[in-house]
Order: sequence, then structure tokens, then C-alpha cells
Amino acid sequence: MRDRTVLHIEDNEYNRKIVRQLLSRTPYRLLEAADGEEGVAVAQRELPDLILMDVQLPKLSGLDATRLLRADPRTAHIPLVVVTSFALSGDDRRAMDAGASAYLAKPYSPRDLLALIHKFLPEN
Amino acid sequence: MRRASATERMPPPVVALLASPLGALVRAVARIRASVHVKLLAGFLLITLLFIAMTAVSLRTLTETARQTNLLDEAHERVGWSRQIEHALAMQMHFTAMALLSKDDGIVARILRENNRFNDTLARLEKAAPAEERALIQAIRGSQDDAMATVADIANAVRDGRLADAMTALRTRQEPLYAKIETLVGSLVAAEETRMASLRVSIAAASRYSLRVMAGFAVASIVLALLGGFVISWSFILPVREAHGFLSEVAEGRFGGTIVVPNRDEFGALAEHMNWMSRELRRLDDEQRVAAETLRSLNDRLALASRAKSEFLANMSHELRTPLNAILGFTEIMLDELYGEVPATLREPLVDIQTNGRHLLRLINDVLDLSKIEAGRLELGVGEYSVQEIVEVVHASLKSLALEKNLAFTAGVSPDIPPAWGDGRRITQCLMNLAGNALKFTRQGRVDIEVRLDGEWLVYRVSDTGIGIPKDEVENIFAEFRQVDTTITREYGGTGLGLSITKRLVELHGGRIGVESELGKGSRFFFTVPLRTDGGRA
Ligand SMILES: Nc1ncnc2c1ncn2[C@@H]1O[C@H](COP(=O)(O)OP(=O)(O)OP(=O)(O)O)[C@@H](O)[C@H]1O
Ligand SMILES: [Mg+2]
Repeated sequence: MRDRTVLHIEDNEYNRKIVRQLLSRTPYRLLEAADGEEGVAVAQRELPDLILMDVQLPKLSGLDATRLLRADPRTAHIPLVVVTSFALSGDDRRAMDAGASAYLAKPYSPRDLLALIHKFLPEN
Repeated sequence: MRRASATERMPPPVVALLASPLGALVRAVARIRASVHVKLLAGFLLITLLFIAMTAVSLRTLTETARQTNLLDEAHERVGWSRQIEHALAMQMHFTAMALLSKDDGIVARILRENNRFNDTLARLEKAAPAEERALIQAIRGSQDDAMATVADIANAVRDGRLADAMTALRTRQEPLYAKIETLVGSLVAAEETRMASLRVSIAAASRYSLRVMAGFAVASIVLALLGGFVISWSFILPVREAHGFLSEVAEGRFGGTIVVPNRDEFGALAEHMNWMSRELRRLDDEQRVAAETLRSLNDRLALASRAKSEFLANMSHELRTPLNAILGFTEIMLDELYGEVPATLREPLVDIQTNGRHLLRLINDVLDLSKIEAGRLELGVGEYSVQEIVEVVHASLKSLALEKNLAFTAGVSPDIPPAWGDGRRITQCLMNLAGNALKFTRQGRVDIEVRLDGEWLVYRVSDTGIGIPKDEVENIFAEFRQVDTTITREYGGTGLGLSITKRLVELHGGRIGVESELGKGSRFFFTVPLRTDGGRA
């Protein structure tokens, strides 16, 4: 069985680095994108098993990118976690409305993120 | 802005009338510098004078007619007297003839009586007769005197027995005399009758004349009164109509028109005032328009600024969190030894970084919450929530702190509470703030969370055995950045935003917050929210 792929779409290099570090000891393959457009392109090309999407991205917002991916039959079924900002009341609801499978408020604990990834992609 | 002139609003006959010389008269009356009162008085005076003149003329005609009728009556009387004279004369002649036949003395007495009657009547006639008839009357008297002398002669002759002489006297002297007198009296009667006839004609003429004069006067009075009434009333109606049109325009919101009236009376003054009012209204209207325009643009700019502010807040929220996420994330994975074993000397500073990072995060959250509440942009995410779950979450996340401080920490929810409706996450935040405070400001003893249902209201209560709050501070602790004792804050952190945010959130739900506290003994904070809230806006 091939390694499951996680696509992390996030414009901040350090946050990408944390996830990179977090997944370095796991069997997951990590793909990265730094803006919404690139994220959608990579997702459509690579068809990952899980997408982590920051809500605020350059070029194409996380919510718009989510809607695009949900509209595409090839990516519509892929689990997608939107990373929101807690203080912005309604962000989470908007994320779910756009088609997210789950949301995680920023700043998140890496432990919680890893638990969420495990939930969607259990290691056997 | 040109106004329709008053004439455009008038019926065509009125316009035609006002264009005629009558119109000029109306304007002339309007221009007279006198008060309305005086003008009206003058109008009534004119009509009254006309009536007085008419009465005088009628009176004059009446007295003239009465005089003529009187003359006619007199003439008529005189004709009567003349007829009596004629009669007396006839009797005289009869008795004279009788005297000759009967030789009776009594006859003479009768003749004398008739003579007296004749003379009396003649005297009366003479007194009443007009001058031109006097000569005729004198002639009658003369002839009568002659006739009486002859009667005396005849009587003497009869008494002396000279009957032949008496007869002769009668035939030759007396009868011609009588005939003469008869003729004279006849002409007198004729004269009087002619006079009467002419009087009748002149009376008829006079009454016809007076009728004409009266009719003429009446017609002239009516025409004059109508004219006066028309001119005076129109000199008032014109400005009133002008004012009417002008005020209609004002009522329709068209200000700044002018009213032009020729009047120099109260109406003129009124028009002047209205023009002043109109100018003033125009000025105010313009000012108001400018102010409204300014306000509108200001409002637009404010709305823009407000939108910009909320966008800024949203961006800020995310922008601040992104690096903080990295800081807290790196710290956590370091402490989790994803980078390898952490030396004991580094563990403490790493935990310090984590503590301060979390504090910074809370601060950011609070400030953002508060500014959103201030801007009225905080919306409740209303939905169904479980009170039990909320209490459990709060209790679980603060349990370790209580344990650390060696405090008893319990949570009790009465079992009859059904699922509630509101913003569960915000209620959690509120309870977390209260319980966090309680643990923070209690050194020994206990902290208890308790929730019960009071009718349609949920009552959340947090009691502690902590330091308590001084009476004079109780009012203030719900205000932003208010802290009683900053030494404790230094020990546990905090900025004084927790209670003020909690208060706003509770009020957003339609509830209220309160505290009972005794210094050194402890505090009991509570807040109420409806079991079911439809949500609201700050
Ligand atoms: N349970 C309590 N016992 C005694 N004093 C209290 C209690 N709760 C609040 N106070 C007083 O009210 C003040 C305001 O409380 P609030 O929660 O708003 O601010 P904070 O706790 O100091 O800071 P923050 O909540 O922003 O971290 C506190 O500083 C404290 O002086
Ligand atoms: Mg507090």
C-alpha cells in the first residue's frame, strides 16, 4: 500500500516547517503549496488523501479554493481541514459551508493537528 | 424658480375684469396708504351717504307733492264758496221778487240774511283767493253793494205803495245788476276751475318727475355700491389670492418665491413679511440641503471607514495568529522532543515561552473581541448547546490549575436543564473567565461552579473563598482594564478585560451579570442568560 499524501496549503514558511517537522517521523507523504491557486493546481494534479487549507491565502482565499475543489468531481471527496482564526466569529461556519470536512482554529497545538490527521488517515 | 402669477390661477371673467379700467381702479384702491379698517369704513360711509341723499330727495319730493295737493284742496274749497255765493245770489233775487208780490216785511229780513251770507262767503273767498282774482271779487262786491242799494229802494217803494216804481226798479236796475253779478261769479268759478285743472296737471307731472328721480337715484346707488364693494373687496381679495398661491408653493416645499401686491395696507405689510419668510425659508432650506449633503458624504465615508476597520480586524486577527502559531508550534514540538532530547536547563525557558505565547494569544483574542463589540460587529453564533458540556469543558481545562494551587474545585449542573439555545462558545468563554478569575484570586479553600434553571433563565454561578472585592470597587470591575490589585495580576497575568467582555457577551444574550463579595471571605459571581436566545448584535 502506497504512502498516503497530505497537501498543506499555507503561505507562512514557518508554519509549513512545523507541519513538515511533525510529519517527518510519520509515513505520510507531504506536499506543500504557498497560495490558493497553486494549492488547487497541486490538489487536482496529485489528488492527495488529505488537504490542510489555511483560510487566508494569497491569490485565492482558502474558502474559494475549498469551493473550487469541492466543485471538481476528482477532488470533491478528499477530506479537507480548514485552518481558521478563532476570534473571527463565523469563520468556522463559513468553512463548513464552503465544504470543509473539519476546521482547526489557529493557533493550533501540533499535537491536536497530528491527532486530526490520524483521525482522517489512520495508520494501520 | 418662477412662480405662476396670481392671474393664471383666476377664472377668465375675473382676469378680463381686472384687465379693464376697473382693474386699474382696484389697484389704485390697493395702493391707497390706509389701513384695511379705514378702507372698509370709507366704503360703508359712501353707501350710507348715498342712502342719506336718497332719503333727502324723497323727503323733498314728498313735501312738494303735499304742498301742491294743499293748493288743490284750497282751490276746491274756493270753488265751493263761489257756488255758495251763486246760490245766495239766486235766493236774494228770489226773495226780492217775492217781496214785490207779498209785501211782507219778513221777506226783507230774509233778503238781508242772504246778503249777509253772500258777503261772508265773499269775504272768506277774498282772503283765500290769489291776488289776480282780487279785482274780480272787488267788482262782485261793488255790484252787490249796488244791488243792495237797489233792494233798499225797492223795499221803500213797496212800503210806500209805489208798486209801479218798485217794479220798474226791479226790472231796470236790479235785474241787470243781478245778471252782472252772476256773470262775474261765473267767471270766478271758471277761473278757479282752470286753476284746479292746471294744478292737477302739475301734480301729476311732479309725481312722475319724483318717481324718475327716485328710480335714478336707486339705480345710481346700487351701481355705486356694487362698484365700491367690488373695488374694495378685490383690493383685498387680490393679495389674499396671491398669498394663497404663495403659501401653496411653500407647503409644496418650493421656497424662495416672492409675492407682489400693490397694497400699502396690512396686506402689503403681510406680503412683505411673507417675502421675508420665504427668503428665510429658502436660506434655511439651502443650509439644510448642504448639511444633509455633508452628512451623507460623511456617513458614506464613515461606512467605508467602518468596513475598512472590520476588514482590518479580520486581517489583523489572522496575521497576528500566524506567527504566534509558529512560535507556539515550534515550542510545543521542541517540548515534545521532536527535535531530540531537551536539556533540563532549556525546558524551563521553553515553558516560559509557551506561557507567554498563550498569554499573548489570549490578549489578542480579548482585544479583538472587545473592539468588535465596540464596533457593533460581534454576532452571536446561535445554535443548540449543552450546558453540561460547557461546564465539563471549563472544569476540565481549569482542573490542573486548581490542583496546582491545592484548591477544591467542583462543578454541578442541575439535571433538569434541557438543551439550550445560544452561542455555546461564547457562554463557555464567559464561564471560563469567571472560573479562571475565581481560581486566580483564591489562595486557599474552594471554587464551585453551579448552574440551575430558574424558569426560562439559566443561572451560572461561580463561588470562591478568595480575597474578595472591596465594596467601592464592585461597581468598577466590569469596566475595561480595571483591576483591584495589580500584585496578583503580576503573579498570574491578566489585563482586566475578562469581566468587561463577559458582561458584554452576557448582555448580547439578553442576560445580566452580577457579584456578591465580602473582602477576605470570598466572592459569588453569577450571570443569567435566557434558556433560548434568538441572538443579537452588540
Ligand atoms: N473572583 C474574584 N475575586 C476577587 N477579585 C476578583 C475576582 N474576579 C475579578 N476580580 C477583580 O476584578 C478585576 C477584573 O477582572 P477581569 O477578569 O476583568 O480582569 P483580570 O482577571 O485581572 O484580567 P484578564 O481577565 O483580562 O486576564 C480583577 O483584576 C480583580 O481585581
Ligand atoms: Mg480575568
